[in-house]
Parts: sequence; C-alpha cells; structure tokens
Amino acid sequence: MKNDLWVEKYRPTTIKDVIGNEEAKALFVEWLENKRHTKKAVLLYGPPGVGKTTLVNAAANEYKLRIIEMNASDTRSEKAVNRIAAPATSFVGLDTFSGETKGNMLFMDEVDGIAGNEDRGGVSAIIKIVENARTPVIMAANDPDIDKLRPLKKVSLLIRFQQVRVPLIILALKRICQLEGIKAEFEALEKIAMNSRGDVRSAINDLQGLAEEGKTLTLQDTLALGIRNKDVSMYDTLKGYFGAKNIGEVSSLLSYSSVDYDDLLMAIGDNMPRRYTDPCELAEAYDYLSQADVYRGRVGTENWHLLKYFFNNLSQAAAVNPESYKPFAFISPPIKVITLFWTKGKRTTLGNICAKIGALCHVSKTEAKLIFVPYLKIMLQQKKKANPIAEWLKLTPEEVDFLVSMKMF
Amino acid sequence: MASNEEALMWVEKYRPKTLDEVVDLHDIVESLKAFMRNPKTMPHLMLAGIPGTGKTTIALCIAHELFGENWRSFTLELNASDERGIDTVRDRVKDFSRYSRGAFGNVPFALVILDESDQMTGAAQTALRRIMETSSRTSRFILICNQSSKIIEPIQSRCAIFRFSRLDRNAMKEHLECIAKKENVNLTPEAAERVVDYSEGDLRHAINALQTAAAYKEGGLVDEKVVSQVIGEASPKQVQMMLNKALNGDFTEARRIMYDIIGTYGFTGAEIIRQMQRELFKISYITPEQKAELSDILGEYDYRLTQGANNDIQLSALLAQFAKVGKPQGEST
Repeated sequence: MKNDLWVEKYRPTTIKDVIGNEEAKALFVEWLENKRHTKKAVLLYGPPGVGKTTLVNAAANEYKLRIIEMNASDTRSEKAVNRIAAPATSFVGLDTFSGETKGNMLFMDEVDGIAGNEDRGGVSAIIKIVENARTPVIMAANDPDIDKLRPLKKVSLLIRFQQVRVPLIILALKRICQLEGIKAEFEALEKIAMNSRGDVRSAINDLQGLAEEGKTLTLQDTLALGIRNKDVSMYDTLKGYFGAKNIGEVSSLLSYSSVDYDDLLMAIGDNMPRRYTDPCELAEAYDYLSQADVYRGRVGTENWHLLKYFFNNLSQAAAVNPESYKPFAFISPPIKVITLFWTKGKRTTLGNICAKIGALCHVSKTEAKLIFVPYLKIMLQQKKKANPIAEWLKLTPEEVDFLVSMKMF
Repeated sequence: MASNEEALMWVEKYRPKTLDEVVDLHDIVESLKAFMRNPKTMPHLMLAGIPGTGKTTIALCIAHELFGENWRSFTLELNASDERGIDTVRDRVKDFSRYSRGAFGNVPFALVILDESDQMTGAAQTALRRIMETSSRTSRFILICNQSSKIIEPIQSRCAIFRFSRLDRNAMKEHLECIAKKENVNLTPEAAERVVDYSEGDLRHAINALQTAAAYKEGGLVDEKVVSQVIGEASPKQVQMMLNKALNGDFTEARRIMYDIIGTYGFTGAEIIRQMQRELFKISYITPEQKAELSDILGEYDYRLTQGANNDIQLSALLAQFAKVGKPQGEST
C-alpha cells in the first residue's frame, strides 16, 4: 500500500470529485457538452497542482472519451503534432460504435513548454488542427502570458484555474487519511495545506511523506518538514542579508537564495529589531518590509513580474544603515509559529465558548469575542459558582474558570 | 415575552419577536409587513448596515412571523463568518434549500438566514448565486451583511436590499431604560448616556454593558460610577498596553503583546487595528496633533493590510512607526 503514489491512487475519476475551481469546472463541462461554442479548443491555465490535468482525465472518464495526450515529454514539432494529433481529431475511430468510447479528445498538456527550436512549427500546427478538429481539443498551461502562445489564445476558450482554497485541501487530506487509516491532528493537515499554497498535488505528496502508519501526525511533524530542506540556506540568507554592505550585495544575494519568500519575510520581520536598535532606523526598515509584503500580496500566484519590487523593498530594508550593523544571534523558528503552537489550547477553548454564545445569541464567534466575552468575564467574576447565565450558555466549569482568569485582549 | 423567559442574556431575553416590537426602524418594518401579509410575494432579502442595528433581529422576526413558534423547523440559520467556505454553501444550504420542507400554512417556502454573508469567500458566493436561482420555488434567503459592496453583483440583483443606519441615540436610551425597568434596575439618565456613548451605536453592545453593570453591584442601582467601572474593566487592556509600550519606544515588548493577543484570541490584523483606533483616542498623554498623525499611520497600515500577504509584518511595521513617533515619557495609568 505504502508504495503507491497517493496523488495517483486518489486522483478523482469523476468531475464532481475534483476539488475547488467550481467556476472553471462548470465552464469546462459546459464547453464539452455544448457544441454551440464558437471556439473548438479550450486553454486551461493556472498554477501547478490545482487540478487541470485531473479534470481532463475525469471528464474523459465520465464522457467516455479517449484521451490522446501530448505533453512536454513528447516532441511537439510540426511533424510530430501532425503525426499524432491530427489523425486523433479528424477521424472517428471504429471503436466509437462499440460503445466503449464515444470518440477521442486531444489533450495537449503543458503547452507553455513548447520549446522554440526543437518544437519548430508546433504552435501553428496546433492551430491548424484546432481549425479542422471534429473532436474536442484541450490545452493546459501554467503561464498563458508567453508570447508564442498568443496565437493559441485566439482560437481557444480561456478557462482560468486558481489555487485551491486551504479548507478544500484539508478536506481532501482528511479523506485520504481516513482511507489510509492514518490519524492526524487538524493543525497538522492545516499546516500542510497552507504550505502547499493551493497546490493539491504537493499537499498530498507532503502528507504521504510525513504520514506513518499507526502514528498520529502532529503539528510538530510538519514543522520539521518545513525547516528540513530550508534551514541551512535560511541561516545563510539571513546572515548575508543583515550583514550586507550595500544594497547591491543584498539584491544579488536574494536573487540566488532558494529560501521560500514567505518564510524569508517572516524571518526578517522577527530579526529586524535585533538588527536595528535605533527606533528611527527600525521604523524605516519595517516600512520597506511592509511595502515588500504589499508587493508579495499583489504577486499572489500569478503576477510574478511584480516580484522584483518585492525584492527591491526587501533590499532597501536591509540597507537602511549598513554602518550600524553588529552581528547578532538569529531568532528561529518564527515567533508566530511558536506562539500559535503554544496558544492553541487557549484558542480552542475560547472558540468553543464563543460557539456556544453564538448559537444562543445569534452572533459570529468574532462578535462573541469582541462584545460578549469581556462582559461575560466580569459577570462570572461577580458570581463564579452556579451562575445562571453560565448554566444557560451551557458552559462547563472549566470554561467558566478559563473566562474568569483569562487576560483581556 | 413569555415564551423566551429562559433566555438569560438580556440581548436574547429582550430581542423583539414580532416586527411591531422593533424599535426605531419604522420604514423598514412597514415594507416588510407588506410581505408578511402575503408571504408569496416575499423576494430574497438583503439586510445591510453596521453591527448592532437590528438586522439579525429583523431576520428572526420575519422567521417568527412566517412560521410562528416552530420557526426553527423551517429556518436554516448560518453564520457565514464562522462557516464561510464553499463547502458550507454546498452541503448545508443546498441540501436544506433543495428539499422542500413542505409548505407551512400559506407560506410556500423555507427560510435560510445567512448572517455576516459579506464574509463569504468569492467561490462560496458564486455557488450561492446558483442555489438561490434553482431553489427559489422552495426557499427564500435573507442575507445579512455589514457592507453590501462585498457581495457579488449577481446576488445583490436577486435581493430586495434594506439598509440599516446607525440607531437613534434617544431610541437606544429609551430601549435601555425600558429593559432596566423590567429588570427592576434603577438606571440613572447619565449612566444610560454613558452606555450609549461607549457602545457607538451598537445596541447589542449597549445591552451587554447594561446587564454587566446591573450584575456588578447588589441593590439594583446603576449610576455613572458603576458604568465607568464596568467599562474600565471590560476595556481591551492588552491593546492599551501594547499601544503604551510602542508609544514609549519599547517595540519588542509591544510586538510580544501583539503575538499574545493574536495567539489567545485569534484576531485578524484588521480587528486589532480597529481596537487600536478606538483606544488611541482615549490616551491622555499625547497631543491631539500626535493623535492625528498616529491615526494617519493607522489608516495607511490598515490599507496595506488589505493589500499585503502577511498580517504580522504589517502590524509589526505599524508598531515600529508608533515607537518612532512616541516620545519616551512615563506611562499613564
């Protein structure tokens, strides 16, 4: 069992089971079912691991179409395309009548990977095929903005895929855990899902890498994963970053570093106060860091060309005053991760209390925290034992104790 | 009132059951009553406005008026900020709305109340839009939100929108006095003023403060002194401390408190900034000019929060700016 790759083992076989990207799925099904569309081809685009290939396979399975696939591992010159793809789209196979399949569909995966020289003429050959196609032609790409794909975009219906939302990934991971008989803390799955940045495939791979039969997967296990590959280079990056003599040195360092951007941002944020002890310098550096984060937000998962502004601001933050640099010990792992780890119990208890308030008083947990908890705390302090309000809210004695002794936010 | 005597939080105990009991929303109530007379004509509704102005109450009143005591059997109540993903919409809303609950009297539909629906993700809203269409024969939706602009257009266009403005001060005061009378609490006019001021137009907040003040001292007298004490105790002390530390130049400690708050309460950056904004203006040892400057900084970082990727970075940067502006002076008590 352990030898099977879970990504393949649990690849959905029906469209309904492909998680996330509802809009894209609906659009795709509509296109597939409905011949009215003027475009004979679709171009599915979006970040890796969000279900483009899975969707196509699931659709083929459901509509009983046979996939003729060409991906980046195949040569896609004009000749090759014509040899493989053209027949697939212009003839109706004999087995159509046997009922096992209802025809072909051509699936060109990773079309942004069509290389300039080796795959000469590939793009124009595809276009010709699309024009004459009698069967659906489906293309998939990560980055649709490549110039040479422009002609393909003209003849295709563009369907955009986005990162899969974290809760959906968590659910998928949970399901796999259930089927594999693995126990896992919710927080651990959450961490894996967050780590994946919407890439279901990598999340499932991470899960498989971490999970052990008969052992509960904890948040701590996942922390180890995050740091395992990156720790050494993170240390070096921080050392170079804070010790750089000028802005040029910082930017060249950043362009070579393989550290994850978000981890780096968090680590720099934690260590900044140790680097700049003067409040004015610190404020200036943090201001650059904040702008770097704004660009990180705008980059999201697709506007990668904005990344240079992210790096520019990061570099500026390091170069506020190179003279004041003194070596210092780095804070690691991130304060946020540690804090959230140690306060998990408190958050859960408070969350449960607020859910009880919410159910009876028709408010969200956040509202309950903000305008019920402070007052409830005072009322319970006045009358801790057998307080009718606590009974009405069905608070346990432990929860009453928690509220009475917790710090006001 | 008789049916809900078991409710012990006053916000629930004195929540109106019928549209007639609702305070200070005459225009909205009148239009809704027209729907109640002939429920078949009721469209999907969207109730939009700031917190504590009666949106949830109105929605529950509608449920009561349509279905009477058994309203819970015909109503699905969800808080979208707790369950804001597409899964909730799919699983719970879709299932509930699709299977007709059977007509109740002359009401041919079941009711779905989605509170804080502006907190729903885009995908969830899109899913909802479809469900609203396909299930319109069997169910009606009441969407409650603070900002209608955060709801996607197609949903807005499917709803009759009612906007709730800030409650009238006097109406709030009267309501508090009315509750106090029923609870045999002697509420002085000054104390009522103080509660209304502090709650910033949020009636729910005001009633909670009143109930706490009444429980604070045996004997049933709630005067300004008691109210001040309660407000003092209920105020966000850690947020105040964080502000003080930052304004005294102790950035590291301020940041530690920030993580303490985030860790225990799980607040978002925006919620913490909202608290800071409120508390900033109460600080006595900085000048009005400084407050204006600091408030500007708050605004800038509030905006950056919406653009950025990492709440903690923005909050840290904000505290660093405060530490720069603040003069190292003695802490106020």
